[in-house]
Amino acid sequence: MRHNDKVNNSAVGLDVGTSRICLAQRVGEEFQYETQLNAFVAIPFSKMTESVLKKEKVPHTVTGPDIVVHGNESDRFADVLNVETRRTMDKGVLNPAEPESLAMLRKIVESLVDPVKDRQKLCFTVPAAPLGAEDNLTYHEATLRRTLSDLGYEVKSINEGLAVIYSELESSNYTGIGISCGGGLCNVCVAYLSVPVFSFSIPKAGDYIDTSAAAVTGERANRVRIVKEDSFHFNGFFADKLQQVLGVYYDEMIQSLVQGMKQAFASSRNLPKSNRPLPIVLSGGTALPQGFRDRFEKALAETDLPIAADDIRVAADPLHASAKGALVAALADA
Amino acid sequence: MHGVRLIPRNLVGSFVERRAGQIQDPIARLRYLQSNLGSITGRPVLHPAKSWGVKRFGMLGAALLLGFSLIPRYQASSGIKAPVVPQPVGHAAVTAPAEVVPDTIANVWLVDQTPDFETYSNGLRIDDRYVKPNEKRISYAVYQRGAIEAGQSDFARQPEFRSEPAGIVYHTTESDQARFTPDQNSRLKRIGKAVIEVVQQNRSYHFLIDRFGQVFRIVPETDVANHAGYSVWADGKIVYVNLNSSFLGIAFETQTQLGDIPSANPAQVHAARILTEMLRAKYHFPQSNCVTHAQVSVNPGNMLVGYHTDWAGNFPFHDIGLSDNYTVPPPSIYAFGFGYDPTFVHATGVRLWQGLALAEDQITTQAASRGIPVSRYRAILQKQYKEVLAALKAAATASDNRHET
Repeated sequence: MRHNDKVNNSAVGLDVGTSRICLAQRVGEEFQYETQLNAFVAIPFSKMTESVLKKEKVPHTVTGPDIVVHGNESDRFADVLNVETRRTMDKGVLNPAEPESLAMLRKIVESLVDPVKDRQKLCFTVPAAPLGAEDNLTYHEATLRRTLSDLGYEVKSINEGLAVIYSELESSNYTGIGISCGGGLCNVCVAYLSVPVFSFSIPKAGDYIDTSAAAVTGERANRVRIVKEDSFHFNGFFADKLQQVLGVYYDEMIQSLVQGMKQAFASSRNLPKSNRPLPIVLSGGTALPQGFRDRFEKALAETDLPIAADDIRVAADPLHASAKGALVAALADA
Repeated sequence: MHGVRLIPRNLVGSFVERRAGQIQDPIARLRYLQSNLGSITGRPVLHPAKSWGVKRFGMLGAALLLGFSLIPRYQASSGIKAPVVPQPVGHAAVTAPAEVVPDTIANVWLVDQTPDFETYSNGLRIDDRYVKPNEKRISYAVYQRGAIEAGQSDFARQPEFRSEPAGIVYHTTESDQARFTPDQNSRLKRIGKAVIEVVQQNRSYHFLIDRFGQVFRIVPETDVANHAGYSVWADGKIVYVNLNSSFLGIAFETQTQLGDIPSANPAQVHAARILTEMLRAKYHFPQSNCVTHAQVSVNPGNMLVGYHTDWAGNFPFHDIGLSDNYTVPPPSIYAFGFGYDPTFVHATGVRLWQGLALAEDQITTQAASRGIPVSRYRAILQKQYKEVLAALKAAATASDNRHET
């Protein structure tokens, strides 16, 4: 965390996503964000490489025969070296297949969040349990809690979908549906007057699109992600096969999300008995492409949801909405 | 997916909503909503330091809510289903349900009694044909909760003694399950009979509810049943350790289902409801002492809770006429410093998770108030538990010796 005299030091929000970690803090009346890619790449150790990385201030760690570059720069190194970045998280939680997941997650978190001595409030995001599956988030949450507590913070967690609501639905008194379409998961939360009514996640999100499209096109998933984030949009025809494939998998993801909502709402006895439609906010990197909202709205219109929803919109700042919501929660608790 | 059921929109909620809408600052608005949710939901909020004004507003809200609960069209008559914890902390907060049922005791009385059956005024029929006496409940030790929370070093040597049962622990038999369809009748009956024989032989519970909702008395209520082993629970005043003597055990013939899938069928739930009604009428158990085995079970070997995980996540408290005790912090954690591991949390639903989180918060607060690290405070609590256990063992040995002589 970068210190700033004007920063409101009473609270910090941290969105711990599968693909990115984003820090939010308030500077005066403004919210300020800092993001790191939640990934790393190992490159062979050499003194020269190490000194170049130091000189360029690229975050890295020397581990035996390797130099591990983590955070934002890992993308560039992976692209240059033509390898996949390694991920500390998978499907919203610590990556069980990655032996370095915990160590690297700590490094990335520490590159964003400075230690404090005054038990400052910090609220970080956690995913909801996958729809129809058991909640298996304990280890992930406890590990993050410990990591952040060790940095001197008074730590709380918040569901990612709820964070979107806290960030975007102030106008409806924090009543509505928050959807965070991230890398590993799409998180959905329904809240009534700031109270979470229910939440769930579905495992089809950005990473699913990337890996599926990569498998079809023979590209690396990391490369697909870069193309997707740089230039993909929904409306129009694509000569490029990768763009076409991305469109197909995006549509599939949206269908899964809408069907998941339908299933969740239909099986829930807990829907708020509201006499007015609930607003929906879409956020997250996967909701960024132009036309995403329209596709989602169309899919929703074709689905008979047991709950009335309207005012579907993309968050004002989709990449930072969850972090902002976490910060709002932390500030409200401060 | 997990969830809470919201109460219908009501005047108090509308008032809070309208007033919140007048607050410009989003943080202040969120804080206002969170600190006033008690007035919407009828539940106290777990939010620090309310001003007197807020408290007064909450009291007004509660009074209004009580008034509205008397209006028939208000749908909270079967208990206000309300979100309980507005705090944005973890999934416990995200999904915590609150099933608030008035702690009233029904008037239930014995109507008929034969050597084989008892019939009660609420329709309960208890089959007494399989009763096996066990060790008599002469007295059992309990501890004042205040003494434990004050960390009185000698409290373990100052137990009080009771002889009446203090509550109910609900279990599952985890026995084989045939498909619950008419063509499986003979198999269902055969398995049910076998289960009765096993629990009778082991004096496992006081009551067994079979797949058809029939209630069998296995061990007389005057006796101890071997149902809870190492276990801890507490009500407002008393801490109970090893509940075989102090609590009655009711087992459902079923296997634990994870998630929201009910582990008991409607016949069993109905039977449990009327059996609970009768026992509460007879012994005046508070709702807070009607708990599940998973909530009370502990393992002194590794100092973790949840050695048994039956009814860890989906016990139908509300359908049985009880408030949701899953949201109560387990005393094993906050009074005796037990921990829990991912296996247990995996077995639980998020409702119990909330209780675990609250207990952890309680430990943190207590440690802070004593100015010591949580780990040290937890060690003190664990030592306290071991002292209690040793005292109980010494008392049991002394009792055995008295009986032998």
